[in-house]
Amino acid sequence: MWTWFHRLGSPKWFYEISGRWLPWLTAAMLLFLAVGVVWALLFVPQDYQQGLTNRIMYVHVPVASISLAFFPMMAVAGTVSLVWKMKLADMVVKVAAPLGAWFTALALASGSIWGIDTWGTWWVWDGRLTSLLLQFFLLIGMISLRSALEDGDAAAKACALFSIVGSINVVVIKYSVDWWNTLHQPATNFTADPSQPNGPEIWVPLLLMVIAVYLFFIISVILSTRNEILYRERRAQWVEELVSQS
Amino acid sequence: MIQFSSFQEFIEMGGYAFNVWSVYALFTVFLVANLLLPMRRRKQLLRELKRRRIAAEQMQKNTEESARLERAASSLGEST
Repeated sequence: MWTWFHRLGSPKWFYEISGRWLPWLTAAMLLFLAVGVVWALLFVPQDYQQGLTNRIMYVHVPVASISLAFFPMMAVAGTVSLVWKMKLADMVVKVAAPLGAWFTALALASGSIWGIDTWGTWWVWDGRLTSLLLQFFLLIGMISLRSALEDGDAAAKACALFSIVGSINVVVIKYSVDWWNTLHQPATNFTADPSQPNGPEIWVPLLLMVIAVYLFFIISVILSTRNEILYRERRAQWVEELVSQS
Repeated sequence: MIQFSSFQEFIEMGGYAFNVWSVYALFTVFLVANLLLPMRRRKQLLRELKRRRIAAEQMQKNTEESARLERAASSLGEST
């Protein structure tokens, strides 16, 4: 258990293993994405109220739900970096913030565009929308916090604490639709019954898209973490060898 | 079953062409950007590290060379 934990904390080990995973992850993502997008755009029946705008759901829902994974992930990595001073964990906290901002921005933008015709407005100060906007600003705040602190250890500590505290907002986002019943709809309960309007022909392509975007999330975190490893470990023997071979 | 009877109809998206296609366009930009940017950064990083390495090696050589010259000069001074 402990040898495993120490190996996982080793940037060199992570760099090597992730390099072996990347092609498979990318292939799987492209497969899910291709089937998901074609299915969503061409085959999903139109919604009896929203018409064909229901195609937006297949982008909005996966991106928005996975944008909620960033703060918990950073909080776990941040705790590991605080308690065990693991360098790799802090690298993950660092690279996750800008990626999370991308995810959150796309969730907000796609939701707005969806709202123009289905709600008749692109923005309201509804609980879900406001708390997601707050998440965007928290992530921007975290990026600025890191760039403001020159000392790497101080930045690691501050960002770890920030991500732990900031995770509270994820709970708010998640339950916002139940606490403040304003405009954003609550979570849908999908059924396996094909005769229902929320049956498999709606949610199977959604599931494919969720898996595709999840894989994309993992791939993008890995890619940025590998860059961060190369930079921070640039004086290590193995990086020097890798650089001279490049 | 395909929900559209013609390509034209598919593009029109039942009157929601702007909404649907702009969301899918943003999604494409998002996917491509978040793969290409780290890949470009990796190339820059490797190039930069390589450049620094060569510079450091050059500096090392220069110091050795000047130390050698200095030794030679001082031994020359001693002999005269």
